[in-house]
Amino acid sequence: MTSSFSGLTNALTALNAARYGLDVTGQNISNANTPGYVRQRAELTEAGGVAGVAQLYATQHPDSTVTVSGTTRLNDPVVDMRARSEHGKNGYLQTAAGTMSSVQNLFDEPSSNGLTEQLNNFWNAWATVANNPGDTAARNVVLQQAAGVAGWLNESAASLQSVSDSLAQGATSSVNQINTATGELAQLNGSIAVNNATGHVDNSLLDRRDSLMMSLSDLAGATSTINADGTATVSIGGQTVVSSTTATTVGLDPSNNLLVGGTPAATAGGQLQAQLDGLSTTVPNYQNQLDQVAAALASTVNGAQASGYDLSGNPGAPVFSGSTASTVSVVMTDPSQLAASGTPGGNLDGSVALANSKLGSSASGPNGSYLALIGNLGTEAQRVTQQAGVQQSVTTSVDNLADSSSGVSIDEETTNLLTYQRAYQASSRVLTTVDETLDTLINHTGRAGL
Amino acid sequence: MMRVTEGSASRNALVGLQTQASRLADLQSQLSSGRQITKPSDNPVGTVSALQLRTQLKQNTQYAANGTDGMGWLTTVDNAYSSINSQLQQVRTLVLQGMNTGAASAGSNQALAQQVDAARSGILSEANASYLGRPVFGGTTASSVAFDSTGTYVGDSGTVSRTIDANTNIDINTPGTTPFGPNGNNVFDLLSTISSDLVSNPSALSGDLSALDSRMSAISSDQALSGAKYSRIQSVQTANSSNNIQLQSQLSDLQDIDLANMAVQVSTASASYQAALATTAKISQTSLLDFLR
Repeated sequence: MTSSFSGLTNALTALNAARYGLDVTGQNISNANTPGYVRQRAELTEAGGVAGVAQLYATQHPDSTVTVSGTTRLNDPVVDMRARSEHGKNGYLQTAAGTMSSVQNLFDEPSSNGLTEQLNNFWNAWATVANNPGDTAARNVVLQQAAGVAGWLNESAASLQSVSDSLAQGATSSVNQINTATGELAQLNGSIAVNNATGHVDNSLLDRRDSLMMSLSDLAGATSTINADGTATVSIGGQTVVSSTTATTVGLDPSNNLLVGGTPAATAGGQLQAQLDGLSTTVPNYQNQLDQVAAALASTVNGAQASGYDLSGNPGAPVFSGSTASTVSVVMTDPSQLAASGTPGGNLDGSVALANSKLGSSASGPNGSYLALIGNLGTEAQRVTQQAGVQQSVTTSVDNLADSSSGVSIDEETTNLLTYQRAYQASSRVLTTVDETLDTLINHTGRAGL
Repeated sequence: MMRVTEGSASRNALVGLQTQASRLADLQSQLSSGRQITKPSDNPVGTVSALQLRTQLKQNTQYAANGTDGMGWLTTVDNAYSSINSQLQQVRTLVLQGMNTGAASAGSNQALAQQVDAARSGILSEANASYLGRPVFGGTTASSVAFDSTGTYVGDSGTVSRTIDANTNIDINTPGTTPFGPNGNNVFDLLSTISSDLVSNPSALSGDLSALDSRMSAISSDQALSGAKYSRIQSVQTANSSNNIQLQSQLSDLQDIDLANMAVQVSTASASYQAALATTAKISQTSLLDFLR
């Protein structure tokens, strides 16, 4: 037999449960737009309570009918893990596409400002000299165009270098962000483990843990596992960077390889790996190809010079010095030193100038090397951009999938709000009813005849 | 069933809007630049072809300039030859006159000899005809004349040529020794001989006449050769300019936009962008809260 007042207690626990539900719903609504927030649900458990209608009064629990058993984070750990892996790939490809796009923008092709046009003008200037080898004006034009070509190569080499410099800065800043995130995560691991041991669950710590793991994936393609006690173990490039409360410092060696605690790490992923690959492969590759263009220019033109004779009949002096894109420059100052003639004696033969004017169609000449560069650049930029586009949509769809379990839906929360509100109202009604019943018992019983 | 939340709905809407906006921006950049290929990754193969076509076009322009220059040179040569020919014709008449009068009139032959001398210096100046400061009969000499004042060839045997298309390099000069004869036996030596024979040795004149005839025929045949070269350049120039038009249309096919097509694409893209904007605005305004009181 339960106490006469147990009905009041039951109604109170129900009121409390409804209020807690309202609190959680309110929190969900407040954080609807908070990045990394995982929606929560008040878990209500029937406690004792009513075993059967027939024994309604006999078996009523002495204290309560409903208890709040906890607040669950409604995320899907499997999808979250997949989202982290896709974010790692996405971070890599977006950064790689960015690098390709900045390299591509340096070479303003196809346009009338690109190197092809400059080279063609240079070759045509030679043709004018071939037509009239004695004309100083025509010879001057050759030197001017040569300076234009060399200047273009110098500027492009400098711009490529600045792409490389900004990648290096980006990599340093990525490394700093990684170290900050791993430090914070190690600290969080400590708090989470303590909470777990004491049976206290703070979902906001877990939200913060998940968003740190996500940003580590974006930055460095980190792989993370969540242990039974709620702590996270994170590794980058096959090496553990966060384990329990220990964070291992990530760094770069002078040749831009990733070090974890001083030990070389395997290829990671994410934004950092794309920056490192840009530094060690992409940019040097185009620097190298640009250097080949410069070398082809210097060697073909200087070679032709050496085989010819200038206006005074002396063997031709070199036009260009340097054989890399950053160092190539015009050393000839006297236009009469341009070798146009194929025979000595200071005549007006133009055969060497004529041969020079045809270098534009030579596959081994600077035009050919440059065409190969532009072809490679275009193909690679197209491939990386397409991959980045595909990866972006994959990542968005996985994010949506993760969001479908962990995101806050205002409509849903509004419905919950209504449900809890109604539950609260109904419980109040139960309280009133029990109170009125007791009122009958206490105040209106045993007054027969009064 | 997948839950749809405000977050995912707005993310999807944003992705959709950005896709539409970037498509529109791409089309607009193509439209404003007039180019289909604004960067190599738009069409790597097309970019390489476009660069090759540009090189060919540039070369073609230069070939046309070379041809025009060669035609100017050959015109100078032709004018010089015509003038030389008519002067040699005069000399021939004078020689015939001298042969007819014979030794009878030394005084009149003296006058004939003076006319021959005048013709010789006229021919010498024509043989030194120059184009842009270069003597056209002087080979590749850096000197300003092909023949010095004594009529001695001071040029060389070098060839002057013009590249008029990718495979044609045409020689446009003839060193002065070919039409006018080698030093010691050239037209100027012959004219000096004629001049002195008229005065002192009229009997040698008939031999001189045949030497003069063979020299004139050498000059005429070289003039004909120059004319043939001129017409060859002319025909190559014509082929060149039609080739140019073809290259330009190829380049234009590769890199230029089709305006009508582009206008349709832009208006389609712009319409779908506006539709996406309008729907996004409508959808995100509505929630259950609007219907609860």
